[in-house]
Amino acid sequence: MTAESTSLLLVNELSITYNGVSPPVKAVNNISLKLKKGENLGIIGESGCGKSTLALGIMGLIKNGSVKGNILYKDLNLVGLPDDKLRHYRWKEIAMMFQNSLDILNPVLTVEEQVGEPLRFHCHLTPQEIDERVVHTLEMVGLDPAWRTAYPHQLSGGMRQRVLLAMALICEPELLIVDEPTTALDAASKNDIFELLQNLQKQLNFAMILISHDVAFVSQLTSMLITMYCGQAVEYGRTSDVLKNPMHCYTRGLLNSSPQFFKYKDLWGISGEPPGEGAPLKGCPFAPRCCQSAEGCGKSRPQLRYVALERRVACHKGGIETFLKAEGIKKNYRVGEKSIEAVRGADLEIRSGEVVALVGESGSGKSTLAHILAGVLPADEGSVFFRGKKVENHWATKMIGGMQIIFQDPFSATSHRMQVLDVVKEPLEIMKWKSTAERNKAAGEALQAVRLPVTPEFLQRYCYSLSGGQRQRVAIARALITRPNLVIADEITSMLDPSNQANILRELKGLQNRFGFAMLYITHELHLARKVSDKVYVMHRGEIVEKGSSSVIFEKPEHFFTKQLFKEAFRSSG
Amino acid sequence: MRQKTRMRLIEYAITIWVVITLNFLLPRLIPGDPFLVLTSQSAEDEEIVLSEEQREFLFHYYGLDQPVYKQYFIYLGELFRGNMGFSVYYKQPVSHIVMHRLPWTVFMVLSSVILSTLIGTILGCFSAWRREKWVDKFLFLFMIFFSEIPSFLLGLILLFVFAAGLGLFPLAGAVTHFADFQSGWEKAWDVLHHAFLPIAALTISHLGGTYLLGRNSMTTVLEKDYLRTAWAKGLPKKRVIFRHALKNALLPIVTRVFLSLGSLVGGAILVENVFSYPGLGTLMRESVRVQDYPVIQGIFLVVTVCVLLANFLADVVYRKIDPRVGS
Repeated sequence: MTAESTSLLLVNELSITYNGVSPPVKAVNNISLKLKKGENLGIIGESGCGKSTLALGIMGLIKNGSVKGNILYKDLNLVGLPDDKLRHYRWKEIAMMFQNSLDILNPVLTVEEQVGEPLRFHCHLTPQEIDERVVHTLEMVGLDPAWRTAYPHQLSGGMRQRVLLAMALICEPELLIVDEPTTALDAASKNDIFELLQNLQKQLNFAMILISHDVAFVSQLTSMLITMYCGQAVEYGRTSDVLKNPMHCYTRGLLNSSPQFFKYKDLWGISGEPPGEGAPLKGCPFAPRCCQSAEGCGKSRPQLRYVALERRVACHKGGIETFLKAEGIKKNYRVGEKSIEAVRGADLEIRSGEVVALVGESGSGKSTLAHILAGVLPADEGSVFFRGKKVENHWATKMIGGMQIIFQDPFSATSHRMQVLDVVKEPLEIMKWKSTAERNKAAGEALQAVRLPVTPEFLQRYCYSLSGGQRQRVAIARALITRPNLVIADEITSMLDPSNQANILRELKGLQNRFGFAMLYITHELHLARKVSDKVYVMHRGEIVEKGSSSVIFEKPEHFFTKQLFKEAFRSSG
Repeated sequence: MRQKTRMRLIEYAITIWVVITLNFLLPRLIPGDPFLVLTSQSAEDEEIVLSEEQREFLFHYYGLDQPVYKQYFIYLGELFRGNMGFSVYYKQPVSHIVMHRLPWTVFMVLSSVILSTLIGTILGCFSAWRREKWVDKFLFLFMIFFSEIPSFLLGLILLFVFAAGLGLFPLAGAVTHFADFQSGWEKAWDVLHHAFLPIAALTISHLGGTYLLGRNSMTTVLEKDYLRTAWAKGLPKKRVIFRHALKNALLPIVTRVFLSLGSLVGGAILVENVFSYPGLGTLMRESVRVQDYPVIQGIFLVVTVCVLLANFLADVVYRKIDPRVGS
């Protein structure tokens, strides 16, 4: 039983290039993976990222393409093996459940013939025995064996999926590759397939490579997960770890696009498109869509590197960067003789492109913490780091691409004696950034981003003549003009009416998705927090009592106070 | 299902009725007189001009003095009893003449259909399998070239080269006349010897189309997802190609074979004349020349019915091999 310990499948630096098109397309780029007997591996990624090509490559089914690297199956290299030898491994050892489509089964042959024929050539059974096995296998996948005399066009999509599964399992392979098993299936059929795969694996003990863009489906069935982008593995790790804490911006984007994980949050896809076919890929392929890309990212391709135990990420920044880190923040206020502990040792972390909600009742110390983070207030104890550097003397708020705070009250945050244009470009004036003309241009762009007019009349209006909503937008524009990497939004909508609140929040989240800045969103409005946040920190009497992914916290709060808070907030809405 | 079959049969009945009607009308629209050339056996013979009484007698005898609608009903009635009329020129019942000539044409057409389909499909599939290789390119050019030569021209070339020039084959006819055959085999050999060149001409001229269709069809099928599935299953090459690919690739070829029977009959008529082959083609040419209406009508009718029959067969066969049709 030494085979138990060694790997069943070992893919080593596999690259697949399609030569049929000009210029040739490298669909799979230097992928390595390992699979033990009975183990499950998930591969996720958007359409066209090379998942299916990888599967076909393992099956040895690449047409008009060149395959480089090694595919070791039980220590035998399948790459370069002649077809008549490879044939004996296909289906008997490695079988594949193809993506469901009308054309995937031969239209002129019966289900029985198509499901049973591998037995004839791999196991040399008699027609009688084949029929028995086909009936048995069809029953196993939950399809009435009477259907075996049918032709593919007579089957429904769900039935065809079962036929494909039965066909893949007929020879009881050791490795099953499942390609997009849930395409075009309704929720019920999807669950059926899920349960089938789970049960059959227990019964037959095959190893499985599950390929899908349905992250939720994959994550429930697999123990290891690979995220693929542009033919390259960008993240590799234990499924549970990756889901809880994605380390690559792309993986996080995929998770954020999955409605199954965040029941309440609005869906935001990854902005931008994958690079087109044949585009020169010199740097990191994800850089154009990445929220933390810098100059160095375009220079070379990042390699998959360990960033933690059993976790590898292909990113020049070593995965999602931590923008803000606060450690042991303490702050006391003196009210007469009494000292009030406003913040009692809070730790906080905000990573790039992340929306972190800081929730709690009024007076729990949220705003104090926010002001300390932004460097507005000094902390009594503890320190704040912005991109690894200690925050002191406002350097972090005084730069392009730094940190900005938007305050709760727009009326006191923007001087009513100043004109709109001056308010918005004020940060640039302080920084002495470029020329006046360029500052004005930047102000115009920032105002446009928050959908305010840029007519000369408007620019010259004094702030006192603006409405609350407009003034809050001006405040946001002032924050955005420095192109910040982190925005701290302190109860920015609490003084607005619901309609203005909805508009401002949606726009801010939209801007966040477009520009990719990180955001600390401080609010006592849990409904709003639930709609926008990726992570949640719950604060109670100056302490962070609970923190985690919003998908988890809002579903299953642990702390007594959090439970109570949510119960009250969500009482009427259920 | 049964409903559909009944509809089909009604359609066929209507088609035949239309054909019969046209068949009745067409010769009557041709200018000329069948009794101008009557008794002479060939065009070179002296023509005997009939007297007025004789002409009237014959007009009456053939019912040509009746109003057209009456002629039509008489025609239909006679046809129903299997009487296609009496040849004015050959002085024999038309059914007898046509049935005597029909087997030769059928023999020729069927042989060349079978041959051209077999060869065309095999070469086409082979070409598709070796697509873009030199074999494919060569075959492709060769076939395009030959499929553009009309069958009668090809027949003439074959006749000049192999029969007149090299003397390998007889120049004309379907059998050696007045020969004393020792056995059935010897007779069969003689028939094949005579038929070889006409069949070859028809086959070659028809081959290009089948080849192109076979190549095209196979190329499409080879790219299909279900073929990748078949390869993935680790089946032997033979199994994938013959069971999975060919069965699909044959579908359009089968349709074409039956539908092309009509055009093949047309080709056969020309080729028969080149080789003086005693089929319907030569019969037709003679009948047109002497304006023998009943014979022309008979030939048209038989040919049309044959083509319809082929259509019907195509329907049946297609339903058999493609499970998607009719369910």
